[in-house]
Amino acid sequence: MPHEKLIPLAEAVRRYARDGQQYASGAALPVGSDAVVFGRELLRQKRRDLHAIFHCNTQQLNLLAAAGAVTRAECGFSGLEGFGFANGLRRAVESGTLALEDYSNLAMALRLLGGALNWPFVPATVNVGSDLEYRSGFAPDASPATAKIPRVTDPFSGREIGAFSPLRPELAAIHVTLADPLGNAIMLGTEWSRFELSRAAQKVVLVADAIVDTDCMRQYPNLVRIPDVVVEAVVYCPFAAWPQGSPGMYDVDEEHMKAMNKALATEEGTAAYLRDYVHSYGDDVDGYLDLIGRDTVARLTQGPSAFLLDPFRKWIVPHDEVLALLDEHEKEAA
Amino acid sequence: MSLDYTRQEMMAIATGREIRDGELAIFGVGLSMLAGYFAQAHHAPKVRAMTEGGIYGASPIGGLPWGIECNRISANATSFTSALDALGCLVASGRCDVGIVGAAQVDRFGNVNTTGIWDEGGEIGPRYRPPKTRLTGAGGANDIACGARRYIVMVTHEPKRFAERVSYVTSPGHLDGGDARARHGFVGGGPSAIVTTLGILRPHPETKEFRLDAWFPFSSVDEIRAHTGWDLAVSPDAHVVPEPSAAELAALRRVDVTGALRKQA
Repeated sequence: MPHEKLIPLAEAVRRYARDGQQYASGAALPVGSDAVVFGRELLRQKRRDLHAIFHCNTQQLNLLAAAGAVTRAECGFSGLEGFGFANGLRRAVESGTLALEDYSNLAMALRLLGGALNWPFVPATVNVGSDLEYRSGFAPDASPATAKIPRVTDPFSGREIGAFSPLRPELAAIHVTLADPLGNAIMLGTEWSRFELSRAAQKVVLVADAIVDTDCMRQYPNLVRIPDVVVEAVVYCPFAAWPQGSPGMYDVDEEHMKAMNKALATEEGTAAYLRDYVHSYGDDVDGYLDLIGRDTVARLTQGPSAFLLDPFRKWIVPHDEVLALLDEHEKEAA
Repeated sequence: MSLDYTRQEMMAIATGREIRDGELAIFGVGLSMLAGYFAQAHHAPKVRAMTEGGIYGASPIGGLPWGIECNRISANATSFTSALDALGCLVASGRCDVGIVGAAQVDRFGNVNTTGIWDEGGEIGPRYRPPKTRLTGAGGANDIACGARRYIVMVTHEPKRFAERVSYVTSPGHLDGGDARARHGFVGGGPSAIVTTLGILRPHPETKEFRLDAWFPFSSVDEIRAHTGWDLAVSPDAHVVPEPSAAELAALRRVDVTGALRKQA
């Protein structure tokens, strides 16, 4: 089986993540899909001064912000939905150590679409007329802000409208349910804006809950919304979104979601969280699953949406075989 | 007959009564989702519901979803699409009939703040500065506020939440009142009701200032005025809202299986 793009998580961060870069997460809102594990690895490798492009906050941004690794962020939503406010992000914003530029959820998707299509700007029919237009976290002195969503004239109606700036993040770590080793991906559940992001980002790393044989993609080519041609690397990591959920794969870990957010509310709690859940495990996938706890892994896998995975199960490459492919890759690299 | 129900349940039922059968509707997470799916379970079985992530045809399974992409709203969907599709093609396009949004703070023209609470009387001042308490930001509420034909604001009725003018307009209501929305060319019609834990406010047809339209069986005009941060006018046809029927409560509790609305009185 070819393994062209399959690399370990630590290597993906070493290769593609840089201090100060525009880093985007490919997620489905705060409690769903997101490569939270990629954020843990960014901290393990001490990446800092990140400019985070998060369509929505997730526990990943909450953690990165709490740890002081983010200086600028652009978001459409900055909470944790049913789990309340994102305490780590909140602390960083309130203390002024992180400048947050607010948009809406549609605005972020449109800005990524603009980047994907290489448009000079995207017409804005939302966000205008509110403080999302008039106030800027990146240019706080401008009042009202005029450079965030500047006004342009619609050449057809002659009416004044807003213009969104397109986004082209330097790196995107996109969480997907299934990927093959070539970089084709299937997402179960809402895509949110992962389609647009996969085309807007300059470099895309997929972080997949499971690796499947390419025959799976040949069976369901319509479902492959991220094709290999836009992907640099594929990382295999079961429970990559933990403690968030991944439809078809695993449920939200409610207990850890709450405990994590509580910890990130203080400096001391964050230090303890980093010690226990970021710097505590080895570089291997099994070490990460041990950290979550094998009982928890088994329990969360029995979710109400598990049936969504049924059509794809026969192509899933067994855990040990994927690890063997990764070993093979490391030997070749050495 | 007196029924046993909470203020939160009354708020959800009153909001749900605003939803009509067959409408294309978008719900957020939490109370708004319960109100919307209550309407579907009770009087609007053909409501066409979607979430802003593009989950269609679904209803919650196993309790109130933690998020609008959570497994609890993914187990019986008929279509999964994207934010660009739901908030763009179906809301910003002007196709969506009704949305429900929550608020940390709302003002006399129905403008909503979910971004932050500032100190020093709530004024940000000419220079933008971080809030004392950072909230959740806009999410899809700004998009719904701009694009949905009408939307309903759900909010706990406390004086600090009902401000003369919100500190930060996250989602536009009727802005400065009158035809202020027309200046921005919004395809949507703005907020049609503010449903609270005490009653229902609706905008004056011309000025768009929100007035008291109805109180709940357990509240009163005086109590509502005392809990509102501006001098709340009372509509000439203000009335009491009928209390929830047994069928309504049963339908709501089938949706709210974990009792989220019964925990907070």
